[in-house]
Amino acid sequence: MRVRGASLILAVLLLGALPAHAQTTGQRPVRRVEVDAGGGFLGGAGLGSADANLRAGDPVRRPFRLFSTGSRFASAPTFHVRAGFAFSRRIGVEGGLMLSRPDIRTSISADVEDAPQITIAERVDQYGIDASVVVMVSELSLGGRTVPFVAAGAGYLRQLHEGLTVVEQGHVYHAGGGVKHWLLSRDRGILSGAGVRADARLYLMAGGIAFEDRPRPHVAVSGSVFVTF
Amino acid sequence: MKTFTLAISIASVAVAVLSQDAHAYLHFAISAPGQSRVLKWHRTPVRWFTTDRGVPGVSASDLQAAMARAFATWEAVPTASITFQFTGFTGAEPFDDDNVSVLGFQAHPEMERVLGATGFLVDTITEEIVESDIFFNSTFQWSTAAQGDPARFDLESVAVHEIGHFLGLGHSALGETEMRPDGGRRVLGSGAVMFPISLGRGITHDRELQPDDIAGVSDLYPEAGFRGRSGVARGQVTRNGAGILGAHVTAFDPRTGALIAAFTLNSDGEFQIAGLAPGPHVIRVEPLDDADVESFFSRPRSIDIAFLVTFHDRLFIAPAGGAGERFTVAVRPK
Repeated sequence: MRVRGASLILAVLLLGALPAHAQTTGQRPVRRVEVDAGGGFLGGAGLGSADANLRAGDPVRRPFRLFSTGSRFASAPTFHVRAGFAFSRRIGVEGGLMLSRPDIRTSISADVEDAPQITIAERVDQYGIDASVVVMVSELSLGGRTVPFVAAGAGYLRQLHEGLTVVEQGHVYHAGGGVKHWLLSRDRGILSGAGVRADARLYLMAGGIAFEDRPRPHVAVSGSVFVTF
Repeated sequence: MKTFTLAISIASVAVAVLSQDAHAYLHFAISAPGQSRVLKWHRTPVRWFTTDRGVPGVSASDLQAAMARAFATWEAVPTASITFQFTGFTGAEPFDDDNVSVLGFQAHPEMERVLGATGFLVDTITEEIVESDIFFNSTFQWSTAAQGDPARFDLESVAVHEIGHFLGLGHSALGETEMRPDGGRRVLGSGAVMFPISLGRGITHDRELQPDDIAGVSDLYPEAGFRGRSGVARGQVTRNGAGILGAHVTAFDPRTGALIAAFTLNSDGEFQIAGLAPGPHVIRVEPLDDADVESFFSRPRSIDIAFLVTFHDRLFIAPAGGAGERFTVAVRPK
């Protein structure tokens, strides 16, 4: 019953949207190449906890704990550039580079010699290079100038410390969506359009500086300015 | 809490032995005017004999087999390049200066808390170990049973420790103990085979090397590529701006749980920990316990223990090859 209810709500939404699609998609020309740049915020993620343990002297006892740690990547500003290509009004691909400088923060507690609890940190440079498939949801557009989209993709993660003294690599997967709002649209000239874009994404980062094997989820929001050619 | 007096081994060295200045772990070294030089074997495979005498519960062949397993444990460290060769049984005694390395049982009832000991004959010109002997104190009861014997000390475990000395490694301070009613010390936890106190009768944990042991032997006998794949933490421990000698500095890798430690080994409070896996480490500095100092340093009175446990206020990120940025840990006075 719950599934049917959900399907019904979705159907109503689509029916409501379809007339708008019919009125507006014809007003927005196909943009073949799109370039955007902007910034945002990459949310933090837990890196896991670990105890500094010694082997117990008694084989039936648990390990002897010197101290405990819990680590996380702190949230950090991001900067990105992207370039995309639209195959049609609905489907496109894009590739991008995202830069951020998050802190790794480690909280230390429960020291066996009663050292005070402390949080220590170190900053790393983080680069993500990814490719995405972008689907414009024109059916939900507002007035033809504001069009929602969904996107998903994967890429390469690179983390550096102190220049190149530490290089960690991994993979990044993402899914999310956003809206594009065209401020300028014209049929002539090299520049065919320009606008602003807002994104919300869920990143799954695997590898890199990680204390556990499982991918860690980061929520990211960003805004950018785009131009189309 | 962190004191201990029951030593399972002593390093009876034929020359003046000190820890090497500003180097990882405690490596045996000989002092020369203005410097100290690390002692190590220069020629491999290192040849060894066992005595042709057993003790109750351990035959001569059991002794040889346990020693062979213990040598193989060190030889199997992939990041170190040291090899050994069993040469045969001998009627010679350990600690004879005969250029032959002999391992065997000897009765030392006067050493009531010493399970075993390692001695060296060293060429002081080349800093080369030319002979190293190990005795296991037959005053104690020994076992070579695969699962250990609750009433006896595990010969292989103690042999792995003594062979660490045989290679030139000193003691590790990665361990915690508590006082026993008889004045001895009970081990609460140990983070290295080279910790100087036995885990006790029947326990075979020390057959397996720990990260601190592996880093120590790899630093002393590095396999090609070891230094290019592992990182070094270098720094200084100070109190009120002055260097501290003998501070115990531990690097903890939260990814692997590995603990690797070293000491500040000069009056400037400088230390160096090699063999770290690339990536983040928590750095912790603690004083040795006053009951402990003689297990590690030949001049215990110069060791500073009047400070509190202190963590470095940044994560240290070990590079893949070479040393990371130098840092200073300013400890709090007691």
